[in-house]
Amino acid sequence: MVDFHHSSDSEAADSDEELQRAFAAGKLKPGLNVVVEAPKQSINNVTGMKQKLKELQQGLDWVERLDLTNPPAPPPPGSNETEGTEGSGVAETDNDFKRELRFYRQAQASVLTGLAKLHKLGIKTRRPDDYFAEMSKTDDHMKRIREKLLEKQQGIENRDKARKLRDLKKYGKKVQQDVLQKRHKEKREMLDAVKKFRKGQKDKLDFLEETEGKGKGKQQNRHGKTDQPFQPNRKRQYKNTKFGYGGQKKRGKMNTKESASDMSGFSKKINQGKPGKQYANKNKKGNKNKRPGKTQRQTMKNRQK
Amino acid sequence: MGKRSRKVFEETKKNEATKELTDEVILQPVITSDEPPAKQSRWINKQRALIFSSRGISHRARHLMIDLRTMMPHSKAEPKMDRKDKLFVINEICEMKNCNKCVFFEAKKKQDLYMWVSNCPRGPSAKFLVENVHTMSELKMTGNCLKGSRPLLSFDNAFDDEPYLSLLKELFIQTFGTPNHHPKSQPFFDHVFTFSVTDNRIWFRNYQILEEDGSLVEIGPRFVLNPIRIFEGSFGGPTLFTNPHYVSPNTHRQLIRRQVAQKYINRVHAKKSLDERKPEFTYRSDITDDVFVTIRPEDNQQNG
Repeated sequence: MVDFHHSSDSEAADSDEELQRAFAAGKLKPGLNVVVEAPKQSINNVTGMKQKLKELQQGLDWVERLDLTNPPAPPPPGSNETEGTEGSGVAETDNDFKRELRFYRQAQASVLTGLAKLHKLGIKTRRPDDYFAEMSKTDDHMKRIREKLLEKQQGIENRDKARKLRDLKKYGKKVQQDVLQKRHKEKREMLDAVKKFRKGQKDKLDFLEETEGKGKGKQQNRHGKTDQPFQPNRKRQYKNTKFGYGGQKKRGKMNTKESASDMSGFSKKINQGKPGKQYANKNKKGNKNKRPGKTQRQTMKNRQK
Repeated sequence: MGKRSRKVFEETKKNEATKELTDEVILQPVITSDEPPAKQSRWINKQRALIFSSRGISHRARHLMIDLRTMMPHSKAEPKMDRKDKLFVINEICEMKNCNKCVFFEAKKKQDLYMWVSNCPRGPSAKFLVENVHTMSELKMTGNCLKGSRPLLSFDNAFDDEPYLSLLKELFIQTFGTPNHHPKSQPFFDHVFTFSVTDNRIWFRNYQILEEDGSLVEIGPRFVLNPIRIFEGSFGGPTLFTNPHYVSPNTHRQLIRRQVAQKYINRVHAKKSLDERKPEFTYRSDITDDVFVTIRPEDNQQNG
């Protein structure tokens, strides 16, 4: 169909009659189905306005009018705001905070100059503290405002508190994890040390003493007993050390890297000496305490009788 | 009866005593009727502004109007005007109310608010579209000021650059400024009206002066005036200025609706054009191609 745009405000749907009229007026041309009228010329009668302004002006003193025309006050020296924001006009309009700040500073500059002017004229500007008069906002309304402000503040405080608690929880969790990890590490080290001791790499049990000492210092109560709630009896403890307790049982006898490279069982004297001699030597020495043979023992028995 | 009369007598006596104390002018007991009353010479700038509206304004607009009335002690009120009445009737109303300035709120379609500011009998007058209205009763604005204290009027530097803005500035000064020594005004300065030009619009703000060093708190109301037209006369007459950047709210809404509609229209067009572009036959074959194709007996056997 044919589109026909009116530049006027009328929003009436295009009827056939209208189109016919437009065609008669010569606005519609064949082969051209959209006729857009040129935008309306805006009026700016400068001379007329200046004349009207002159007519309007009263020629009164400044005190009667109290008008001030000034640019916004410069930003305070501490702020990192850049001056000369004229270029970023659109951005400033859309940015509520920036825009309001500009208005605020404009008002501020006016207040500073205006009050100075009034003081110069010898007019009092400050209201004395004991001067009471009707305010533009009622006390009731101001009370509501104060309540709202308080509520807001309370809300912020509550939120802060909740956040802090959450952080603390997070921190506590982390601390707990650290402690657990440390405990695991200690245990691992301890087990390693025990293993080494059993294989003969270490010949001192100082790691045990260390932990015992620690344990004694930490966990003994006034009865001289450890605080641990459950401890197996001695026999069980011994068996645990002997056969192991918990942990993986299979592959326990397999070679590992450590056991393969373990040289603790190697002795130069024994392993690199001459084959026959060592045994002879050992036997001679060791025979002293050895149990005598059966016949000898029996003869000894008979002799006593 | 006797008691009462004595009481009245005592009261009059008291009043006289207070009069003497306050050092007021004591009127003569007998004056001639043609003697002119003593004038208060200090109140020179006699501006009176009539603030009222047409019927059908929204609650927000009504609150804004009431706020303006509370802020301007030199204002007068008037019942809402019928929508059918022509605007130049306002001139007569102003004359009857003895006002020489007028702020008239005109509501259209129950949503668009227009504001007329006019210098009453002789013009000029300006018509604005009022946008972004926040009233004084909103709880976000925490400032407060004396009712009827005179505001400082702060203008942007842009008001001196353009002739139409300087004309509007003069109109605003005379309308919104409270005259010095107005009987209903207070003698202190504790708030400032700010008019500034951004985005081809005039932004109005009202701040309380907290301290003399320039710390301010907003009182409200706040609104944005989008100038439409300036007339030479009051509510009519030849046009002095029209705003080329002004887009009427109707057109604005229409554009938005059209944008939304465009999505659907595009889809329909796309479908239509796809149908048009789709060929009827993928490949146009000739029927006579098959005429000389012979079916061999082997093929026949395989098929059969």
